[in-house]
Amino acid sequence: MRGDGRSRRVAVVPDAYLNPAAGAPDRLAELAGAGWGVVALPQPGLAPDLEKAALAAVADQLAAFLDDGYEVALAEPDDPAAQRLDELLAAAGRRIGAGVAP
Amino acid sequence: MVVCYLAHCLLNANAKVDEGARCAGISVPVLRMLRERGATIRQMPCPELAFGGTRRFWAVREQYDTPAYRAHCRRLAEPVAAQVRADLAAGARVVIIGIDGSPSMGVELTAADDTWGGRPDKPHDEDYPVTPGAGLFIETLRGLLGESVKAVHAVGIGQDLFDYDEERELAKLGRVVAGEAERGAR
Repeated sequence: MRGDGRSRRVAVVPDAYLNPAAGAPDRLAELAGAGWGVVALPQPGLAPDLEKAALAAVADQLAAFLDDGYEVALAEPDDPAAQRLDELLAAAGRRIGAGVAP
Repeated sequence: MVVCYLAHCLLNANAKVDEGARCAGISVPVLRMLRERGATIRQMPCPELAFGGTRRFWAVREQYDTPAYRAHCRRLAEPVAAQVRADLAAGARVVIIGIDGSPSMGVELTAADDTWGGRPDKPHDEDYPVTPGAGLFIETLRGLLGESVKAVHAVGIGQDLFDYDEERELAKLGRVVAGEAERGAR
């Protein structure tokens, strides 16, 4: 038995965090250092129906965290996919905060 | 280009069952290895989290293997399969990285035992019934990929195994990702 090592802090991040452009800061490594886990938003450029299905899966997972009191935050609230997710969660009666300060 | 589809919990250990997390959030050694090899990272959904929530007990394949859970896995795996096919069509090499020992995300090893059920008094460690085979989500994803599955390299990191050896498992993953990168460069 290892005890419960989960941080209970979940950041919702855009694809650019998973795959930063050359020379860009590694935000994922920064979040890792601060103990956050991440849920990735769909990458840009997906067909609308595919993005919708991927976002629905993200929303389902976040609902599980939110309903059990985990801290859930949008790393980039102005990201278009983040805004669509926010709408999806709002329709299901759930809200997530913004900002992922360590 | 190598595109790696990671089991959700490798970037978010909060999705693991209680006592199952090997880190607080992001598996830094896995992230570092993928960064060093220039891999594109995609995160697969965690089927167990959305189905059983964060308070679920650990379980074996037989406990999850219901029509409802298989339908749930299929709904989550369909967009993943579509993205994998798109990456292959764009000329990328694709690696699926699962969690060996997991009833859902296992690639070569899963957990299965006909006797599990009822009072949740089963130990998680040395008696965890690891058996050869894939987990239910990985099995579903492979099925949805159809012929494309032949072009995909699936590998499991044994984070759900009692005798997990991080150095050994990272070396295995590193070899797979580097090998696919080499093939992609030819």
